[in-house]
Amino acid sequence: MNIKEIKNEKLGESYFHIEHPTGLDIFVMPKVGYSSTFAVFATKYGSIDTKILQSNGRFAEIPEGTAHFLEHKLFESEDLDAFERFAKTGANANAYTSFDRTAYLFSCTSNFSENLEILLDFVQSPYFTPATVEKEQGIIGQEIRMYKDNAGWEVMFNLLMALYRIHPVRIDIAGTVESIAQITADTLYNCYKNFYNLKNMALAVVGNTTVEEVMKIADKVLKPTEGEKAVRDFVIESPEPIKSYTEERLQVNVPQFLLGFKEDIGTPERSLKEKLSAQILLDIVGGKASPLYKRMMDSGLINTTFSHEYFDGFGYSAAFFGGESKEPEKAAQAIKEEIVRLNSVGIAQSDFEKSRRELYGRMIMMYNDIDDIANHIIETNFSGNGLFDEIEVCKSLTVDDVNTRLKELLKEKYSALSVIKPIQEV
Amino acid sequence: MNKPIIKEIADGVRLCSLKTSQFKTGKITITMALPLDENVSANAVVPHILHRSCRDYPDYSALNGKLAELYGAVLMANVSKHGEAQLLSISLTSIDDRFSLTDESIAKECAQLLTKLIFEPKLTNECFEEADVEREKRLLIEKMESEMDNKNVYAQQRCEQVMCENEAFGIPKYGTKEKISALTPSDIYDAWQRTLKTAVILITVISSGETDGIEQSFAMGFSGIKRSPVKPKTVFIKSANAPRRVSEEQSVKQGKLVLGFRAGMENADDKKYDLYVATDIFGGGTYSKLFSNVREKMSLCYYCQATLQRQKGVIFVRSGIETENEKKATDEILRQLELIKQGNVSEDEFNASILAVCDRINGYNDSPETISAWYFSQILEDEIQTPEYYFEKYKSVTLDGVINAAKGITLDTVFMLSSKPGSGEGQE
Repeated sequence: MNIKEIKNEKLGESYFHIEHPTGLDIFVMPKVGYSSTFAVFATKYGSIDTKILQSNGRFAEIPEGTAHFLEHKLFESEDLDAFERFAKTGANANAYTSFDRTAYLFSCTSNFSENLEILLDFVQSPYFTPATVEKEQGIIGQEIRMYKDNAGWEVMFNLLMALYRIHPVRIDIAGTVESIAQITADTLYNCYKNFYNLKNMALAVVGNTTVEEVMKIADKVLKPTEGEKAVRDFVIESPEPIKSYTEERLQVNVPQFLLGFKEDIGTPERSLKEKLSAQILLDIVGGKASPLYKRMMDSGLINTTFSHEYFDGFGYSAAFFGGESKEPEKAAQAIKEEIVRLNSVGIAQSDFEKSRRELYGRMIMMYNDIDDIANHIIETNFSGNGLFDEIEVCKSLTVDDVNTRLKELLKEKYSALSVIKPIQEV
Repeated sequence: MNKPIIKEIADGVRLCSLKTSQFKTGKITITMALPLDENVSANAVVPHILHRSCRDYPDYSALNGKLAELYGAVLMANVSKHGEAQLLSISLTSIDDRFSLTDESIAKECAQLLTKLIFEPKLTNECFEEADVEREKRLLIEKMESEMDNKNVYAQQRCEQVMCENEAFGIPKYGTKEKISALTPSDIYDAWQRTLKTAVILITVISSGETDGIEQSFAMGFSGIKRSPVKPKTVFIKSANAPRRVSEEQSVKQGKLVLGFRAGMENADDKKYDLYVATDIFGGGTYSKLFSNVREKMSLCYYCQATLQRQKGVIFVRSGIETENEKKATDEILRQLELIKQGNVSEDEFNASILAVCDRINGYNDSPETISAWYFSQILEDEIQTPEYYFEKYKSVTLDGVINAAKGITLDTVFMLSSKPGSGEGQE
């Protein structure tokens, strides 16, 4: 077995990467002084994976929301379900599904080995029946409805639907009440087989633990799986959005907006340099210390909810600015004007330094939280990077890198505005 | 984890410092407790306006630029309700000096910055500036409206208002929109002065370095203030009269049900350990009665949770459901509580709860946020206790104690936010 220690001197942290014979990548970061241990077992299977590659080389469609549905159902088994097993150990267990992964996790301060065994075991033991699938449709139906009243959630998915024509990032992570009605026990088994292959997965454990402790359980519980890494379908779609404006009315007091710039990409994934320089760029454009922020705040166009995000994953990449605003169109216009201005004057070295320092500081802060670290290990591993790479890339960035990103990322012709307005009472 | 050192640095101002090198950051939080009364709106503006600028950094661009240079130090203001007290807090988190890329001392600069924000705000003629006050009023109103757009939070607040309409607890933490709109710069100045003079104050410091500097800066700040602290008091109502039901309709997709209970407490310490566990068995984790039955068995909801607010002796159960299922869900929630009162709690259920509660407490020491929250939530306690102390207390809770405590829980108010006919449908 190949065990490698990866260190970062400045950060004072190190972790171990183990290539387990089953094909699973295992990461262990022991943290001195911590009582808790956090473990996350994840598969590279999220809501954007709406197709399965078949033996004939073609992709077959699966219902929207299946990854999330499967996440809910994996907790069940023929005898004791996973929650009942964790109830005997005191661990706090949970799971989440994002655009590009499904993760099962727990944190605990005692009975770690037992908890890890439960985690590895239940994720490897699918058990679905028509009755349990039907029961879940009610629960997930309520989860979907809960988000339908959430203006922040709606403003984002409406924007994604305006920006993306075919990429499945445009669909709700949980699917729709109609799409999940098509899910059967067979659908779940089929997806499980395709995506829950250990070569397609990773385990990260951070906190009060050791490599030996983790490996003892991993060796005992991990069962070799057949098949190879799941293949993702990369469809290049044109950078033009479907529409440049989308609006929905909800029972809210404050309107919300999200302005998105879709990036013109020819390859599915962005490099760390591209990601981090984009983050710095967005901070320079609309961060709290920016002139734009002050102008919009002083004129009452935005409030403290205003923020920005570089949003990227397999086959999609976009820059978002948004928050609450009484005048969403005006706020969006102010942002676009600032981008035009920056394009003509370029980014100043001093502004770049300030934003880079902030990014560096926030990266360091992440190392306080064992759950953040573990999730970040999974995220970086799934995108082909090491945990500490981004700190090093951040230190090496220059103002020129950010000026390059300014030219390629923030194009008005590839932008769309999503707005949530209050319902007008009759 | 070390024990914190607690010192009184001025009349009614305690400094609770915990030295640890476990984290990459230092975190200072100042929390100020005031009574929940007619001044809540003016008070609520105070931490917000203070954390936006100061004499040395007179606008937020200047201040945020400084924070960015301090490697993205995180400055936050917060207002919360703690029994019948209003807590105002400002916190500053920054990376440790050892991560600085140059030679500056980040910790020292941050400690100085925080005291400047609190004691040396930007004033003109002994008052806050009109434009700053107007901006903060707008931001606070929008914040309040935004929080109310979260229907879960809205329903909870409405339940509190209905249930405690004749108690201070019924006052929302920011007061009302009308009250905020009417505030003048001198109201804010008075609120700032009143806070510095009369609030009960706790400063928590979680840091790897020495805290003498922080102590001196704050001690100096308070030395110029004539303190006469007033400790906020909370009225406890031990049990409810006949329960009431109040409902409202909105154009929402999902209905929100909130049940407000009186916990049977006479003060904030009364049966607190037993009741905490009873509430957890009722509607805490995935092993709880509400999760297992209302969600898993009946598929009525995605979440159904119970929380104890021991500072007021009340318990709230919240769930998001289809409007037509209100009665079904309410009946089941009350039936589950009845089962606990009758002693129908298995050893497994009880053990699962004790294990989970103890595990949670054990984990508090693993993040600066949870540690400082742990300590500042004891702002009104005479003796400040560690998580380890509570851990031992929870370990000795018995099933009999839990059942007896649960017997004192009575339903006071049911609040239902229903979806208007037609709006529960999916999007067109």
